[in-house]
Amino acid sequence: MKLLKTGRWITFVGLALLAAVYVRAIAFTPVERMQGVAQKIFYLHVPAAIWTETGMILVGVASIFYLFLKDPRLDRFAEATAEVGMMFGTIVLTTGPIWGKPIWGTWWTWDARLTLTLLLFLMYVGYLLLRGAVTEPGLRARYAAVLGISGMCLVPFVHLSVYMFRTLHPQPIVLKPSAPSLPGAMLATLAFSFLVFTVLYVGFVTQRYALSLLREQAEPHA
Amino acid sequence: MRDVWRHAWLLVRKDLLVEFRSRTAILSAVVFTILVLLVFNFGRDPTAVAAVDLAPSILWVTFTFAAMLALNRAFQLELENQALDGLLLAPVSRSSIYLGKLIANLVFVATVEAVGLPLFALFFNVSVVPVLGPLLVVIALATIGFVAVGTLFSAMTGRTRFAELLLPVLLLPFMLPPLIWAVLATAALLAGRPLSETAGWLRLLAAFDLVFVTLAFFLFPATVNE
Amino acid sequence: MPENTAYMVTAYIVTAAILVGYAVLLYRRTLKP
Repeated sequence: MKLLKTGRWITFVGLALLAAVYVRAIAFTPVERMQGVAQKIFYLHVPAAIWTETGMILVGVASIFYLFLKDPRLDRFAEATAEVGMMFGTIVLTTGPIWGKPIWGTWWTWDARLTLTLLLFLMYVGYLLLRGAVTEPGLRARYAAVLGISGMCLVPFVHLSVYMFRTLHPQPIVLKPSAPSLPGAMLATLAFSFLVFTVLYVGFVTQRYALSLLREQAEPHA
Repeated sequence: MRDVWRHAWLLVRKDLLVEFRSRTAILSAVVFTILVLLVFNFGRDPTAVAAVDLAPSILWVTFTFAAMLALNRAFQLELENQALDGLLLAPVSRSSIYLGKLIANLVFVATVEAVGLPLFALFFNVSVVPVLGPLLVVIALATIGFVAVGTLFSAMTGRTRFAELLLPVLLLPFMLPPLIWAVLATAALLAGRPLSETAGWLRLLAAFDLVFVTLAFFLFPATVNE
Repeated sequence: MPENTAYMVTAYIVTAAILVGYAVLLYRRTLKP
């Protein structure tokens, strides 16, 4: 199947480029003075976080269009993005604490990105569980769309409340993992990594979409 | 639009009539609330932990459980005897069904909270009366938030396997933000902090309610239309 | 500068494991008809 092959190729290219990102980040990017080598986790953590959140928004948007247009391709896309988004979320939730431990001295902290990602992850899990619990495809797509739109609408509230929490309780930290102004070499590495994560997103979603399509074609239903 | 409210109100009366005739659900919810409060009370070492430190969390855990109990049985009535099909055939808009369910669920949870709050004040020796006004606002807003989203989701989970397990899982990410805001606001109120500190959380709760009641109102038909 | 290379290495390995793992998972799911 052509779509599947395309997806596999894109993923393969993405993974090969990921190796290049690793080399660049580890060997050709300067070490941050205050945090040391651990700061380099940033180059994987941030692009993964961006795609976790973007994924949720895409699920929401696809869901809105699905409810109006009833096009099953939108539903398949939403399902694929949700699964891939959850996978990226796993990366954020593992690299986050691994980064936090040496820098903040604690495995977990209710910082903006981690809190948001945890909630996003829970939303993805719920979304996929709901899909798994409904057998009839039309019903499943509609229910998933309702949940997807609700999830997307929650995201701004989480951002808002994390911002409010910060302004009420100023954090006494000196080291902030997300530095506002990055020197050129670091910015370039981040940009490169983000590009590669985007390629991986496209490759994975294409494959997952193709998988849904294959499954539908394999079992003809009434 | 007036029809929507009229139909919704008819549905609320139906639900409440059924509920208060049998009284089992409301009684079990009240008993459960008392149990939870007692357990928290005995689980705490009064010499080590001041009641007022734990109080906001205890209050909200109790209310959250009460809300979950209400939501789990929300569409149960309709699922037995396929009464939901009967409702759908009636000349009422889908959205009035949502509104009716929402209000009925709110009345149920509010009743449990009305019993729970005084008991909470009593068992934990927390002075609730000086901040009663704002506290009731916080409780009302947070409850509307949970129940609005919960009513929408329970319409979907009702017919799935593991319905009672699935609903809390789906609801969790949506309950956490209002729950956290409510706990923070309650803590500020009970600690006697100035009202301006609570204002921010109240605004968030109000915005959340506005957005999600509206959203659920428009999305509900998608959960029951064929 | 603090000595925390082990954390960086762990994070990089975990990330690669998740990404490659997911790729392999997808590959195998699409092999079965």
